[in-house]
Amino acid sequence: MPSSLRLFVDAARARTYPRVAWLFRSRTWIFQETLLPVLGVAAFAYSYRAMQAPEAYTGLVVLGAAMTTFWMNVLWGMGAALYWERDAGNLELYVMSPAPLMGILTGMALGGMTTTLVRAATITVAGVLLFNVPLQPTSWWALAGVFLLTLTALYGLGMMFASVFLRWGREAWHLVNLFQEPVYLLTGTNFPVSAIFPKAVAVVASAIPLTAGMDAMRQVLFHTPGIFPVWQEALLLAVLSVVFLLLARRLLRNLERRAKEEGKLTIRWQ
Amino acid sequence: MTQPLRTLRLAAWLGWQLETNWASPWLFAIYMVVKPVCGSLMLVCMFYAARAAAGAKVPAEFLPYLYVSNACFGLIGTVMFGLSNAVVTDRERYRMLKYIYISPAHFRTYFLGRGLARALEGTVGGALNIAAGLLLFADLRRAMGGEGIDWLWLVVFLGVGSAMLWAAGMILAGACLNMSRNGMFLSEGIGGVVYLLSGVVFPIAVLPVWIQWVSRALPTTYWLEGMRRALMGPVPADTPILRGPLADWSNAELAGMLALTTAGLVVVAHYFWRWNERRAWRLGKLEENAGV
Repeated sequence: MPSSLRLFVDAARARTYPRVAWLFRSRTWIFQETLLPVLGVAAFAYSYRAMQAPEAYTGLVVLGAAMTTFWMNVLWGMGAALYWERDAGNLELYVMSPAPLMGILTGMALGGMTTTLVRAATITVAGVLLFNVPLQPTSWWALAGVFLLTLTALYGLGMMFASVFLRWGREAWHLVNLFQEPVYLLTGTNFPVSAIFPKAVAVVASAIPLTAGMDAMRQVLFHTPGIFPVWQEALLLAVLSVVFLLLARRLLRNLERRAKEEGKLTIRWQ
Repeated sequence: MTQPLRTLRLAAWLGWQLETNWASPWLFAIYMVVKPVCGSLMLVCMFYAARAAAGAKVPAEFLPYLYVSNACFGLIGTVMFGLSNAVVTDRERYRMLKYIYISPAHFRTYFLGRGLARALEGTVGGALNIAAGLLLFADLRRAMGGEGIDWLWLVVFLGVGSAMLWAAGMILAGACLNMSRNGMFLSEGIGGVVYLLSGVVFPIAVLPVWIQWVSRALPTTYWLEGMRRALMGPVPADTPILRGPLADWSNAELAGMLALTTAGLVVVAHYFWRWNERRAWRLGKLEENAGV
């Protein structure tokens, strides 16, 4: 294996480890990150029941809640990660070490995906069982394919956020917060986008991988009308994945260069 | 007496500065409006999606119910999350929690001050959220313009509600004293549970009967019902879908039960905080940092 590739893989593995190990070390997450979110989801499910909406709408809420956990992980676990690493004093070590930042972020993404997958699966299983969600997928393969493409595009976006948020300093925390409710609205976390938004708004919202991903998965699982056919949304997600990963690499190189030239990147509390 | 007041004033000022001075005033104003309004608009979209699918079964009164409840709940979320977040950021980010603890400032009063800053932020956010709703939705204008706002009851519910918010926030902040950085996500999770049990986006009659009894033990359920009544008047008799078990209670009964359950919460908060504070001090948790 070429040394640069080995360095990349080793850095990714090393950074994946603490995130996965956390699953077994801090058991309180089982309560606060699986059971509590399920109860939170139940509020929207009961709201649809009170409004006598079709049963499939409860399924939209459950799927939305499961996918939202990945968005939260992308924002807090990826976007804000370098910012927190700076506070912990690790960022300067990352920049000085021969390990590529892209490898370190890939490790964060893989570790974050693993832990979030457990959380999302718990929410989905509990939601489906508690609320009797009718699942009739047209194809499990299509569902799995769209899911993986959504994750790739989402975490590519997260890698981009990591370097952008770091430069925003103290604003980053609030901006990460700001990326929650508006994104839940635009991506149609709890409702079918195509049934509410005009086509033009839905198309613009599809630039967020969560919109296209959830819309495609809802089409496959609940046969709801979508913004585009499933194959077109899968193609869009594939394009977004490539674009976000390339942009992330470029932004990280820029970040590394500026860190070395200016020497200000690791100044905390700015 | 002047010492606790000074702590309160300075803590509130510090909290306000931390919350607001990270951005220019216009960016902060956008932040204050966009976040809560988008949360409410998501519920509006759910309402219209259900209406499109279920037709006339969903009464128009459901929209103001959702909107006003959610705007009021924003205050609960802001204060509860704000206090636990204050523990985490002061300890892990600014690393000053241990210094506040050993300083002559009263530790609990300091957090009361931080909570006041968040409460102000939440109140402004809630008011802007309702103003945006009034501007955008005729159903909301009709609901709030029908009987007009009952200012007297609004003041009563806001007054008792302040004590409730502080107590709930202190319980979560107390728990965070003994948890690592991920403790701040606990408040989000607990916020979700309270959101469910208080019937923010549906009348609690929809819940299974045994859960309804849990709902009726929470002060937030009475507070939200009281706030909805003060802002929109009682639920119309011709919308049975919105009439929960509290629909026939008078405002005085609601306020009395809110005061009673809040008193219970304050007692729990007092002892829970004291136990957590002592434990955190004994185990060195006040200066423990997590680098996950």
